[in-house]
Amino acid sequence: MNYILIAAAVLSGAAGLLGIRSITTDSGRSSWTMFLMALSFVVQLYILGIRGEQRGSCPLSDPGEILMFLGWSLTLFYLVVGSTYRVSLLGVFTAPIVTALLLIASMPGMLDIHPVHKNVSDYWWEMHTALSVLSYGALAIGSIAAIMFIVLDGFLKKHDMGSGLFKTMPPIFTLVSSMVRLTVTGVVFLTIGLVSGLMMSTHGGIHLWIAAVVWLGYLLLLGIWYVRGLTPKRMAMLIVSLFIASLAVFGAL
Amino acid sequence: MNLFCLGLNHETAPVEVRERFAVPLDLLGKRSQALTQLDGVSEAVVISTCNRMEVYVASQYEKLEIAEANLKQSLGIADDEHFYECKSDNALKHLCKVVSGLDSMVLGETEIFGQVKKAYQSALESSATGGMLNKVFQKSFGVGKKVRSQTLIHSGQTSVGSVALDLAEKIFNDLKHCTVMVIGAGEMSRTTVHSMILRGVKKVYVTNRSLENAEILAAEVGGEAVPFDEWDKVLAEVDVVISSTGATEPVVRAQHIESVRKKRKYRPLFMIDIAMPRDIDPAVGEFEEVYLYDLDTLQKQVQVSVAKRAAQVRECEKIIDEEVAEIIEYARKANQHRKQ
Repeated sequence: MNYILIAAAVLSGAAGLLGIRSITTDSGRSSWTMFLMALSFVVQLYILGIRGEQRGSCPLSDPGEILMFLGWSLTLFYLVVGSTYRVSLLGVFTAPIVTALLLIASMPGMLDIHPVHKNVSDYWWEMHTALSVLSYGALAIGSIAAIMFIVLDGFLKKHDMGSGLFKTMPPIFTLVSSMVRLTVTGVVFLTIGLVSGLMMSTHGGIHLWIAAVVWLGYLLLLGIWYVRGLTPKRMAMLIVSLFIASLAVFGAL
Repeated sequence: MNLFCLGLNHETAPVEVRERFAVPLDLLGKRSQALTQLDGVSEAVVISTCNRMEVYVASQYEKLEIAEANLKQSLGIADDEHFYECKSDNALKHLCKVVSGLDSMVLGETEIFGQVKKAYQSALESSATGGMLNKVFQKSFGVGKKVRSQTLIHSGQTSVGSVALDLAEKIFNDLKHCTVMVIGAGEMSRTTVHSMILRGVKKVYVTNRSLENAEILAAEVGGEAVPFDEWDKVLAEVDVVISSTGATEPVVRAQHIESVRKKRKYRPLFMIDIAMPRDIDPAVGEFEEVYLYDLDTLQKQVQVSVAKRAAQVRECEKIIDEEVAEIIEYARKANQHRKQ
């Protein structure tokens, strides 16, 4: 299992390296980045499939599985965003994170060697965990788009147009639209995940309350963006800050 | 190689001389054909652009000097002061340089490629070319393409307007959804807004101290003229501001932007100040959503691009030398084969 996991990490790592190389050598966007990420996605899906079979439920029962699932959802959104908004540079920022998540998941003790097969499943629990992790994937990529916006905004403000990174980055409007749409997608998933959490047979505990606060924060932010308006830079900074704060949910698990 | 080139360009002749020898686009083919009637001239191609007029002639070896003399007489060249000439492989090398943009006023510009292609096409259609010039021009187009694809000779922008245009696309991606406001109906604004219109901007507002001039430019670009004391009323709608007035005090101040920020929902605003002295108060650039670029900043970028292109010249010349040597070697072998 670990070897397959490492293979997926190597593929996403290679995608990241190719992306970085295309930026530093000024050679434009690399289509191999997208291809390798797609390949890594397939391998990750295969491992999650095996774990799901072994568990008899959604594979989200140990830290390794949660990290794998998070990496998979990041890759999924990367692929979706990459083709829809042509922001393939996102791969340069996403691929190393996916690689790190998969490598950590492959470390000893992260994955149960003998996963317990559940005979009776709580479907609300499965929906809650799967959608929450998916929402984190969308919110994480949204944060990456926001970081990219902050970097590009800095270049434009300082009139620094000479770097390869500046040339390869997608336009400001594409980044703003990506970060907002991904945040909206993440919030939609989080909403369903939260409702499913409230329906679980077992009590969700403190992490559910923290998730509710995070959800309220995102809702407020999107409300301000659509109703009153906000400078894109402030929006980007708040998206990144909220995402970092939302990681507290994992601390409370 | 029995090839001969006679011409003048922006470096050898002032505009009034270039004007005298310029050939209208629709007459290029006819003029080329007329030259082939001269004694000694078997094939001819006339190239004429704003910055150059060149004639490429193919002749039989023994008649090259007659062709040269007849050509000069036909063009009415009394003295050779403004003209340059090159023969055989030097003429081919020169053509390759012209096609690659190495001989252009703006180093590495790509427009010349199309202009030479059109001139050649006109000559071809007028039956002024044959085996020799057809090969020479086809090869030069191949060399031009190779130079462009293997070097960075055409990279970066070399005019203030095109740098501004690139920046606008870096911010807004597609200018089709953008509204532009031009403050001051001067030449610089006109050129910049024209290139933006070519990229399909949604709407253009023009304002000027003289409403009449604003209306003239607005009519020219299909935009709307706005009285000078009312331009701030449309500021909330616009995405790009191009300012180029002759005012001695700033026209756009921080309070103008502050008053429309909320109405604009803080969306990005790209401001291009190409006036000297500056029209837009530098404090305007302090607003988070405003990207302010003045003439100095844009010109600095132009200089960077020009320097980058200049650094590529040696690389381009190396490609041209190699390609020309290959062509000459191929022609020599073909000749030998024919003789045998």
